[in-house]
Amino acid sequence: MKNTFTQSMAWLHTWAGLIFGWLLFAIFATGTLAVFDSEIDNWMRPEVRSHDLTQLQAAQRGLAYLTQHAPGASNWNISLPDARSPGLQVASGERRRGGGTALDPHTGEPIEVRETAGGSFFFRFHFTLNLPRNWGIFVVGALAIVMLVGLVSGIVIHKKIFKEFFTFRPGKGQRSWLDFHNASAVLLLPFHLMITYTGLVIFLLIYMPAAVDALFEGDNQAYYKAQGEQRLLTPRAALKQPAALVDLAPVLASAQERLGAISSIGISNPGTAAARIEVRPTLGYRIALSKGQAMVFDGVSGELLRDVPDMRPAVLTQRVMAGLHFAQFGGYPMRWLYFVCALVSTAMIGTGLVLFCVKRRRKYASASVSAQRWYKVAESFNVAFVAGLMLACAGLLWANRLLPVELAQRANWEVKAFFAVWLLSLLHAGLRPAQRAWAEQLGLAAVLCIGLPVLGALTAQHDPAHRVLEATSVVLGGLLAYAAWRCVAPREEKPARKRATVAVEGQ
Amino acid sequence: MLMIGAVVFAYVGMLALCLGLERHYKQVWGRAPAPWLRVALRSAGWSALAISLWVSGVAWGWAMGPVAWFGGISLAGFGVAMLLPYWPRAMVWLAAALPLWGVLLAV
Repeated sequence: MKNTFTQSMAWLHTWAGLIFGWLLFAIFATGTLAVFDSEIDNWMRPEVRSHDLTQLQAAQRGLAYLTQHAPGASNWNISLPDARSPGLQVASGERRRGGGTALDPHTGEPIEVRETAGGSFFFRFHFTLNLPRNWGIFVVGALAIVMLVGLVSGIVIHKKIFKEFFTFRPGKGQRSWLDFHNASAVLLLPFHLMITYTGLVIFLLIYMPAAVDALFEGDNQAYYKAQGEQRLLTPRAALKQPAALVDLAPVLASAQERLGAISSIGISNPGTAAARIEVRPTLGYRIALSKGQAMVFDGVSGELLRDVPDMRPAVLTQRVMAGLHFAQFGGYPMRWLYFVCALVSTAMIGTGLVLFCVKRRRKYASASVSAQRWYKVAESFNVAFVAGLMLACAGLLWANRLLPVELAQRANWEVKAFFAVWLLSLLHAGLRPAQRAWAEQLGLAAVLCIGLPVLGALTAQHDPAHRVLEATSVVLGGLLAYAAWRCVAPREEKPARKRATVAVEGQ
Repeated sequence: MLMIGAVVFAYVGMLALCLGLERHYKQVWGRAPAPWLRVALRSAGWSALAISLWVSGVAWGWAMGPVAWFGGISLAGFGVAMLLPYWPRAMVWLAAALPLWGVLLAV
């Protein structure tokens, strides 16, 4: 530890930043991609074609299929297409939600959809690092606290926050890396703090179970029930009475008027007088995360039995914070804002990692052999955790289209490909000189990103809905290519840039 | 359209605040700004940010509006910082997006 408060904070920021920054970069990068998880899902399931049917039309196709193929089932579930995702799925049986059989919304016939890890892989990796769920949540939670420590210690050691608010001086080596790290951190500080803190609040009850343990003997369900989530009793006598299901159109229309787009419809005890229709909204009709909420209608009369429950202040606070993190509200404009902010956050962590090595390059060139070896380890990890991770993410999309469709356990193989690419990048980074390793891995990632539309066109029937994702991938690939190019040709760049700035200043 | 307006006002606000700093004004125009100009730029900057908040609130509603506003001004500020060393004049000319937006809104 060092003498003054600022010095100890600088020490903390440097070392915590390096050691935990590697995983934090992975968490932020995959979190950025998870903003568009459904869109990536769609790209990875090219068999599901886009269409312009309404939710009601799709729901009726699903209903017709279930009536024909699962007439006696106790529960039906229909997942509806929405603005983000064209898929229509049906499932039947005891308490089944999500998944099930994919249907063509035009014909109502089942379609074969490839098994894939999907964009939801990035989402799961973002909060579990692909560890067993609860372990992962604890590890990521600990890392989020380190992130908060990094942000606060960063504010303490940054002496000229307002004076250098807009300062970025490119082409000056270490100075430029520090400038970029500072600018991206300071200008987006509200976003960094919000996203890190709300990330912790999502799993509040897992990290801090004491209150629920004391008041509800650890039963989270009992806690939520006490917040006003009443359960409707099934009228047992009516179960035996056959009755026709009410027309879905008015039910769906009144739910849409109240909640906006619908994510799925659950029908319990269809064909009996006890039938209930549960209509669940997509997550983004308000900021507060509306997961698990639904309007319940009588399946025979169509009468509203239960509205979405009002949330009590404690739950509402937690749900609003979780909602701020999930970014499901506000439609595509908000989603893009979050995506770009998250990209800058990711770049902020990445430049911080690079800065650690740039700062020490000269010092370690003349240090002892063992010190040099440690420096090389840090450099290799930087390459693998920054460039290698981006390479692995792009690699997952390539694996999705290149692995044979009929492969057993296909989703697992995609994940294995992701980790294999990541591991190879670490190996490669250990063997090659750092500068070359950076250039080669960034370059390869750029090729994979820019080549994505070509791969898409060659391996599946073209779907116009994939255009935005492919264009975004090309733009990101362009940025990666520029970064790779700057790694191999930094020296010629310098004098030219200097002259240009002098010329501007001399005017 | 209003959402774009919120971003445009955020950009103009951050641009004016940036030019209100002597160092950056010099970087663009090669000379120091007059004291009254500095004050004017700063007040214009803060006012534009305030208008951006108001437009965000109208466009998104007052629950989501402030969230979008924070995102908008952060990214606008970052954009200004990135453009400044490379294309300082283009950075200033981009402010023309504001009257353009106004015209489009009126039409």
